[in-house]
Amino acid sequence: MEDCLARKMEITVSEAEKRTGRNAMNMQETYTAYLIETRAVESQSEGQCAPVDSLWRRYSEFELLRNYLSVTYPHIVVPPLPEKRADFVWHKLSADNMDPDFVERRRIGLENFLLRVASHPVLCQDKIFYSFLTQEGGWKEMVNETGFQLKADSRLKALNATFRVKNPDKRFTELKHYSDELQSVISHLLRVRARVADRLYGVYKVHGNYGRVFSEWSAIEKEMGDGLQSAGHHMDVYAASIDDILEEEEHYADQLKEYLFYAEALRAVCRKHELMQYDLEMAAQDLASKKQQCEELATGTVRTFSLKGMTSKLFGQETPEQREAKIKVLEEQIQEGEEQLKSKNLEGRDFVKSAWADIERFKEQKNHDLKEALISYAVMQISMCKKGIQVWTNAKECFSKM
Amino acid sequence: AAGAPKALPSSGPKSLREMPHPLAASSSEEMGPPLTPSPDLLLPRSIADKDLSLPNGTPVDTSSPASSSSLLNRLQLDDDLDGETRDLFVTVDDPKKHVCTMETYITYRVTTKTTRAEFDLPEYSVRRRYQDFDWLRNKLEESQPTHLIPPLPEKFVVKGVVDRFSEEFVETRRKALDKFLKRITDHPVLSFNEHFNVFLTAKDLNAYKKQGMALLSKMGESVKYVTGGYKLRSRPLEFAAIGEYLDTFSLKLGTIDRIAQRIIKEQLEYLVELREYGPVYSTWGGLEVELSEPLEGVSACIGNCCTALEELSEDMTEDFLPVLREYILYSESMKNVLKKRDQVQAEYEAKLEAVALKKEDHPKVPTDVEKCQDRVECFNADLKADMERWQNNKRQDFRQLLMGMADKNIQYYEKCLTAWESIIPLLQDKPETK
Repeated sequence: MEDCLARKMEITVSEAEKRTGRNAMNMQETYTAYLIETRAVESQSEGQCAPVDSLWRRYSEFELLRNYLSVTYPHIVVPPLPEKRADFVWHKLSADNMDPDFVERRRIGLENFLLRVASHPVLCQDKIFYSFLTQEGGWKEMVNETGFQLKADSRLKALNATFRVKNPDKRFTELKHYSDELQSVISHLLRVRARVADRLYGVYKVHGNYGRVFSEWSAIEKEMGDGLQSAGHHMDVYAASIDDILEEEEHYADQLKEYLFYAEALRAVCRKHELMQYDLEMAAQDLASKKQQCEELATGTVRTFSLKGMTSKLFGQETPEQREAKIKVLEEQIQEGEEQLKSKNLEGRDFVKSAWADIERFKEQKNHDLKEALISYAVMQISMCKKGIQVWTNAKECFSKM
Repeated sequence: AAGAPKALPSSGPKSLREMPHPLAASSSEEMGPPLTPSPDLLLPRSIADKDLSLPNGTPVDTSSPASSSSLLNRLQLDDDLDGETRDLFVTVDDPKKHVCTMETYITYRVTTKTTRAEFDLPEYSVRRRYQDFDWLRNKLEESQPTHLIPPLPEKFVVKGVVDRFSEEFVETRRKALDKFLKRITDHPVLSFNEHFNVFLTAKDLNAYKKQGMALLSKMGESVKYVTGGYKLRSRPLEFAAIGEYLDTFSLKLGTIDRIAQRIIKEQLEYLVELREYGPVYSTWGGLEVELSEPLEGVSACIGNCCTALEELSEDMTEDFLPVLREYILYSESMKNVLKKRDQVQAEYEAKLEAVALKKEDHPKVPTDVEKCQDRVECFNADLKADMERWQNNKRQDFRQLLMGMADKNIQYYEKCLTAWESIIPLLQDKPETK
């Protein structure tokens, strides 16, 4: 990762702002714009700070960037964007896109996306990406001019359509299966985690009621009063502590979500390979049948049943000139086909090689990141337990003074 | 005279000088300021020091049965029962199920150890069932109407909802019955009640029950209390204060009971989700290679937290809630005693008024009215002494109960903390390059 953009440039998504504007259909809409700040890293050793460049981008522009990258680098597991709409919410979290907490977490997610791309050995060198970070005006036009939309295979959109590949690459089949399973398990995990958060919130908040009733009770007690009153205060502290605890946990959920979406990106690579293989096999099949046709015409034997063969039997043979013409056309097509097949094979092998390299890189990154996420989750739980012990120890001391 | 004597009545009769007179107890200083929040500090501790004579110097006749209980009560004001002064120990344990043709029921072993003269033997061991405890409580209420009788755990349980023979239910009940007898044991008057004595010692309690009539004793049973008919004009301030206190107290306890139940409910719902949450990590671990152990570790950790949570909820259900409910029942029965006291006072006031209306020249107070006056004063004295004792015990009981609740929560978090701390090294572990 020596030459990564991330090393040369500091990238942050520092602010989010609500804007109103007119959309493509000239209707008024509200959206959030994000401020991307960049600064060259090099000259900091002399104590001088390079100037900060900045520009505003909205979520749809990030989407456009990512689509471009996915199509242009089909063998790369392209980093995912944070979710478009709030999903896996538990009751306290708003599902509203305009909610400040959601916007804040999205800001962090977008920054993370840019950093991921900037530290990718291949993606960071892309000019469109660089322009996204540095060129405010005219970027959209530049992207569209690359014509990447034409390259996009519409078949990729049909996620569940099956293409019968005769010789599937086992590794890719397994990987596709893995990405499906990963998506399923992380979704399940996020759903249950949201429910767990909901319930835990309930447990903590009900304890707040102790605060009030202890206070009321202490009013009619003489010796017990002080102890009860101060214990009640600790119950209030306990009930309030859950808000921060669960907010911190949302970061863990976001880390899981990133890999949920990464699983999709992984699956996309497998899919592209599948389609590539399918096209290759179709091309090879087509070539083979053309060769056969040619041979049949040349030797006059009909080995396999064909409509042409039948019609020629019924309605008479072609003239030699006609046959010659046909053979010539076919020979041209065969030559073309062979060249195409050759380049497709080459393309295929290159794809597999570079895809597999990126997949290995991705696997290592995934293992590292998820381990870190699990550690931070455990640390959060430890912190929560320690807080719990502290509060109840304080309450116990108050009770002991009753 | 010496300070408040610690010795129990069985250590011999006291001289008249050391026993305060019931009438002397009703000095104005005891009324205290009208708006005292709780009555538990109204009784000065030096009651026993008061002179045994009427304000006008006439020595007092202390032979009436009604006054003896209050006298003995006075001696027990400082009922700090350390090991040295205790001479009666009672325990309830060893529940056993009995299956008979007509019914199935549980009996408990009641063990008594004592040096009191009222008991023939130093040790007893009998078996009693709930209805025997219920009988005892009724007898105590009948024979000691001026005292606060401790509550029993609930008699009836909703069939189908609670299993009367489950280990948890039986254990919860056993603890409550043990508490019940211990409270009686600690009471300076109730512990000498002879129904209590029979309960602890008789081999065949049913035969005794059938006798119907208890032996007459000096402990106030001959005093009959009129029920109803008289209307009290106004409750004396201190008893009104007690009444108000009990009202608010039982209200607050009711609220705490509801909060505790709600917490348990929320905890159990949290537990349900956790039980689904843990295994998903394990499923994930099955998909991975390098992450397999860390994910399994997290799964196991969550499982341990589930167990800890389950234990916490069980403890709250079995140890916390029943004691709260006991105190609510206690308050209810105490309010009834207050009402009875009102009745006795009302009767006295009515009779006194009747005499005043007769307008005699020498309004010699007839013994009938005198007896009423005695009753009022004894009742007031007994009740006040019991209230103070009750307040003190209540404070200790709640101190222990709430500290116990805090403790259980601390233990829960400590178990979870241990679980999470132990997997940190597992998560940080770099796998050996294969």
